[in-house]
Amino acid sequence: MTRGTPPMDALRNRNNTSRLSRMIERLVTQRVCLDHAAELVRDLPGPALEIGLGKGRTYDHLRRVMPEREVFAFDRELHALPGCQPDEAHLVIGELRQTLPEALDRIGGRVALIHADIGSDDRAVDVALARFLAETLPALVRPGGVVLGDRVMPRADWVPIPLPEGVGDWPYFMYQVLQS
Amino acid sequence: MSRLDSAIRRLEAQRLCLNEAARLIDGIPGPAIEIGLGNGRSYDHLRQILPGREIFVFDRRVAAHPDCIPDSDHMILGDVRDTLDDAAARIGAPAVLAHLDVGSGRAGADTALADFIGTALTPLLAAGAIVVADQAVSAPGWRTLELPDSVPPGRYFMYKVEA
Repeated sequence: MTRGTPPMDALRNRNNTSRLSRMIERLVTQRVCLDHAAELVRDLPGPALEIGLGKGRTYDHLRRVMPEREVFAFDRELHALPGCQPDEAHLVIGELRQTLPEALDRIGGRVALIHADIGSDDRAVDVALARFLAETLPALVRPGGVVLGDRVMPRADWVPIPLPEGVGDWPYFMYQVLQS
Repeated sequence: MSRLDSAIRRLEAQRLCLNEAARLIDGIPGPAIEIGLGNGRSYDHLRQILPGREIFVFDRRVAAHPDCIPDSDHMILGDVRDTLDDAAARIGAPAVLAHLDVGSGRAGADTALADFIGTALTPLLAAGAIVVADQAVSAPGWRTLELPDSVPPGRYFMYKVEA
């Protein structure tokens, strides 16, 4: 997936910010939010999912901040940096619309944390994919689990979590799944 | 440290050093040189902190984001081992700032390339020019500069070309 562009409305005030600065804001935001999410699910069992492996940076971060937990990564194709590639048992390559429903048998209802870094330059594609995720992820994630990502995924049974202190100037969205 | 952590450290160091270099050449006329366009992030930053200054970019190929590609007058395509040699006429004046962003992660190859570039680049630079690099570069007449506060030694590199 191509990355690097937030939704247009979030871009409006960024005309004077370079791509270098925007990348720093994005990566800092991701790090702070992932650390916060890992802390929130510390006592919750179950694996974590990285949806949109990309270069593998945030996957690598997740597996380091939660070393005791399995992390599964999903992407359409593999272009992660060497050293940031999951082993075969934790890497799922293919269209998300196919691979995520297929994962239900294995990890349905058990997942503690999901990071969906899916943004592309195509707003319509992103909106459709975020909607698909909002429909599909609830069957994977367990009550109390945290879902975060770079696109809005509104659901009545997911409570938006305020972003932690220290985030950069980059849109990110965090939700916690209501305890049943 | 995760790859996310190391990417943040590298990009923050890069930005701090580029900003410091721009400050050091403020008011001194002359173009800038970027070797290694990559995805165009640091080029985009340079053109923002060096408004009105010409920036000439060298790379083997263009793989940058479409809005971070120099016009054809300022994009010098090819292997820098070939293109640096006769670039002086094209650039037109001694450059006062150069940024080398050439690291591939292969230590031996990167060091050899950086040192080659250092030597080949020197004739294109003005006395007093500032060089910012992602690798240590040894080139005749280059003096190592202290890095801006909060950039630890060895994370990025800055040099001043002696008169």
